[in-house]
Amino acid sequence: MKSKTSTPRNPTVAEKLRHLLISQEGVLFVIMLVSVLFLATRTDKFLTVDNLLQQGRFMTEVGLIAIPMTYIIITGGIDLSVGSILGLTAIVLGWTWQELGFPLELAIITGILSGTVAGFVNGLFIVRVGVPPLIMTLATLALYRGLAEGISEARSARGYPEWFFQLGQGEFLGIPTQLWLLIIAVVIFGIILARTRLGRALYAIGNNETGARFSGLTVNRYLLFIYTFSGFMSAVAGYIFVSRVSTTRSDMGTGMELDVIAAVVLGGTSIFGGTGSIPGTIVGVVLIQLLKNGLTLSGVTSDATIVVIGSVLIFAILVNNFIQSRRGG
Amino acid sequence: MTEAPLLQLREINKHFPGVHALKNVHFDVRRGEVHALIGENGAGKSTMIKIVSGVYQPETGEIQLEGQRVHFANPREAQRAGIATIYQELGLYPELSVAENIFMGHAPTKNRGFFQTIDWERMEQGAEALLAELKIYNLDVQAKVGTLNVGNRQRVEIAKALSLDARILIMDEPTAALTESDVEQLFSIVRLLRERGVSIIYISHRLNEVFELADRVTVLRDGEYIGTNNVRDTSESELISMMVGRTIENLFPKQAAEIGDVVLEVRNLNRPPLTRDISFSVRAGEIVGLAGLVGSGRSETAQVIFGVLPAESGAILLNGEPVEIHRPSEAVRHGIGYVPEDRGRQGLVREMTLRENTSMAVLESVSRNTFVNRAQERRLANHSIQQLSIRATGPEQIVNKLSGGNQQKVVVSKWLASNPKLLIMDEPTRGVDVGAKSEIHRLMSQLAAEQGLAILMISSELPEILGMSDRILVMREGHLVGEFTRAEATQELIAHAMMSEEARRTAGASA
Repeated sequence: MKSKTSTPRNPTVAEKLRHLLISQEGVLFVIMLVSVLFLATRTDKFLTVDNLLQQGRFMTEVGLIAIPMTYIIITGGIDLSVGSILGLTAIVLGWTWQELGFPLELAIITGILSGTVAGFVNGLFIVRVGVPPLIMTLATLALYRGLAEGISEARSARGYPEWFFQLGQGEFLGIPTQLWLLIIAVVIFGIILARTRLGRALYAIGNNETGARFSGLTVNRYLLFIYTFSGFMSAVAGYIFVSRVSTTRSDMGTGMELDVIAAVVLGGTSIFGGTGSIPGTIVGVVLIQLLKNGLTLSGVTSDATIVVIGSVLIFAILVNNFIQSRRGG
Repeated sequence: MTEAPLLQLREINKHFPGVHALKNVHFDVRRGEVHALIGENGAGKSTMIKIVSGVYQPETGEIQLEGQRVHFANPREAQRAGIATIYQELGLYPELSVAENIFMGHAPTKNRGFFQTIDWERMEQGAEALLAELKIYNLDVQAKVGTLNVGNRQRVEIAKALSLDARILIMDEPTAALTESDVEQLFSIVRLLRERGVSIIYISHRLNEVFELADRVTVLRDGEYIGTNNVRDTSESELISMMVGRTIENLFPKQAAEIGDVVLEVRNLNRPPLTRDISFSVRAGEIVGLAGLVGSGRSETAQVIFGVLPAESGAILLNGEPVEIHRPSEAVRHGIGYVPEDRGRQGLVREMTLRENTSMAVLESVSRNTFVNRAQERRLANHSIQQLSIRATGPEQIVNKLSGGNQQKVVVSKWLASNPKLLIMDEPTRGVDVGAKSEIHRLMSQLAAEQGLAILMISSELPEILGMSDRILVMREGHLVGEFTRAEATQELIAHAMMSEEARRTAGASA
C-alpha cells in the first residue's frame, strides 16, 4: 500500500469523498453524470425539468420493484415473477371492480393483496419445499401471467373515475405523485437495508446461508418476508401502472423482470449475493431510464437505443470491476 | 549432502494489506531431501510456498534454482521449472478419469489426418506406468476421480506432479484428511520419491510426522525465519519452543472447577441413524468430553441439541425445564452456543468483518428498535480481540484474511458474546496451531471455572479429551457406549469403548 498508513483516526472529508467516489455507487454516479451531459448536448429537449420529471414518472414502477429485488439478489436469490405479479394485480384490480362490482377502493386493496399473496407463495415454496428461487419464480412467471390472462379473458378494463388517476398522472408540489412514493420508499428501505438487523441478516445469508443459520439467524423467516415484500411492491407498482395508463390489460409488465434485474445488477449488486445497496440500485434505475429517453429524443432508433444501453451496462460493469480490483489490491 | 542447494530463497519479503507476511525469510532445499516447514497458523508457511510455486511474487529477495536466479510470474512457470504443489484442497476434476487428471494439459495425442486427438491408449498406459513407479497397482486409471477416496485422490495428484517431471514437490498438510492406513502409504511414497532424488517440501502441524519423515526442518514464526535444524539433532520440545517462542509447560491448563447444578439434560434423544436413545447431562462449570470415531454420531448429536437436525423423539431440559428446539435460532434463544466442526461453512460468514461476525448471534442485543448499533458492535469486537488475543488489524478486518486459529477464536467469541449457559464445541482446536490451541484450552477451562459455563466438547484427539474433560462420554454408531470420570479415564479405556464391539452400553445419564 503506497498511501501512508496512519494510526486509527477519523477520516478527513477529502478522504471520505475519495472513498465515496471510488465506491461502486460513486463510479456509477459519475458514469450517469457523463451520460446526462453528453445527451444534453445532442438535444435540447432532454435536459429540461419537465422532461426529467416525466421520466421520473415512467421509472417509478421499475424503481419500486427494484428495491425488493435488491434485497432478494443480496441473499443470492432472484424473483423472475415480478412482471407477472404486476400484471396479475392490474387484472384483479380491474376485474373485481368492473366484473364483480367491487367499490374501486376495495378493488385496489384486493389487487394489492393478491400480488402480495403471489409473492408469499413464492417465498413459501422456496423456504419450505426448498425449490431454488430461479426455478420457483420462473414457474410462477408463467403461472401468474396465465392466471391474469384467464381472469381477464382478453378484455381490458377502462373507464376509471377521475380520482383514480391522481397517483399515476397527478402531481404533488409540482412533482409527479408516484415519484414521491418512490423517493420515500428508497429512503426508508435504503436505511433498512444499511442499518437494521434485517439488512445485516440479508448480507449474511447471501454470503453464507449455512453460517447465518448456525448463528441463530431466522433465515427462513427473512427469506419468506423478502419474497412476500417483492410481491407487495410489484402489486403497488401494478396499481400505479394502471393509474398511469388509464387501462388494464393482462400483458402489463411483460418482460419487466429483466429491466428490474438489469438495474439492480448495474447498481453493483452481485448476482451471486452478499453485496449491493439501494443507492446503487436507484442510480442503476435512473441511468437506464435517462439513456432510453435521451437517446430516443436524440433521434436514435429504438433498436439502436437497446444496443447502446446494453453496451453501457457492460462498460459500467467493466469499469467498476477494474476500479474495485485495483482498490482491493 | 553438502552440495549446493537445489532451491534457495534469500531475503524474501512480502506484504499484504496490514500484514508483513514474510520478513527477510531464508529457505533452501537440497536434492533428494524431505524438508519440513512448520510454524503456527499465520506464521507465513502458506505465503512462502505460494512464492515458491509462483502464485505470489516476492517484493524483495531472490529465488535461485540450481544456482540460477529465477523469477516465476505465475504457477505455470514454476511448474515448467519442475516445482509441483499438492494443496490441501485437492485440485482435481472429479468428473474426469484418473488418467485424464494425471495428464491434464499435456495429454499424449495422435494425428488423424487434419485432427489431433487424444491418444487414450497411450495416456492410460502412461498413467499406469506412473502409478506403478509409485508402487500403486490397485488404482483403476479409468475410474472417475470423484469416486475415489481422499487417499487415492492424493495419489493421483502425486502421479500428476511426476508426469510433469517435478523435481520439487510441495505438500501442504497432506495428511490432514487421511486415514491411518492412507498416511502409511503416503509416507512410503514420499520415501520412494526421496530415493529417486525428488526434493519434498513438507508442511505439517503434526510434529511426529516431521520426525518420521523429514531430513531437515525449518521453523517460521510471525513471518520470520527462526531456524533450520537437522531432524536428527532436534527434539519435539525444541521445535515447539521455536514455533511459539516460549515453552509450553502444560498443553492442557485445566483449572479445577466447582461443579454446579445440571444445566443440560437430554433424555432418550432420538434421530436415527446417528443419534439413538441418547441420555446424558452436563453441569455448570463442567467440561464433558464426547469421544468417538469419526461417523459415530457425535456431531449429529450436538446438532440435534442445537436444532440443526431436530430430534424425532426424546426430551431436552435446560436448567430442569423441558424446552422445544426445532431450529438453531431457538437453541440460541435458550442460551446454547455451538462452535461447529466446519468453521468456514458453518461457523463464520467469512466474507464479512470481524465486527459483523462477533455480533451475529447477539444482533438483538446490539441493536435498538431493530437498528444495529455499530459503536456497540465495535466495542464488542474490540473486547473479543482483547479477551481472546485475536491477531487482527481491527474490528473491520474481513474474517477471511485471518489465519485459521484466529478465525476459530472469532467463532468462539461470537458465542461468548451471547453469554450462553451451555457451549457445545465441536473439534474446537482442529486445524489450529499449537499456540492458539493452548489459548483456546485455557479459555475453556477459565470459562468453566470462573463463570460456571457448561461445556460439551467433541474431539477426536484423545489427549485433548483426557486433558480437558471432567467427565467423558463415548459414542459408537449412534449410541452412547461409555461414560468415565476424569480420574478413571485412560487412553486405552476410551479407545476400547470407541472401537470395541463388546463395550457395554451404560444406562442412564449423570454420574
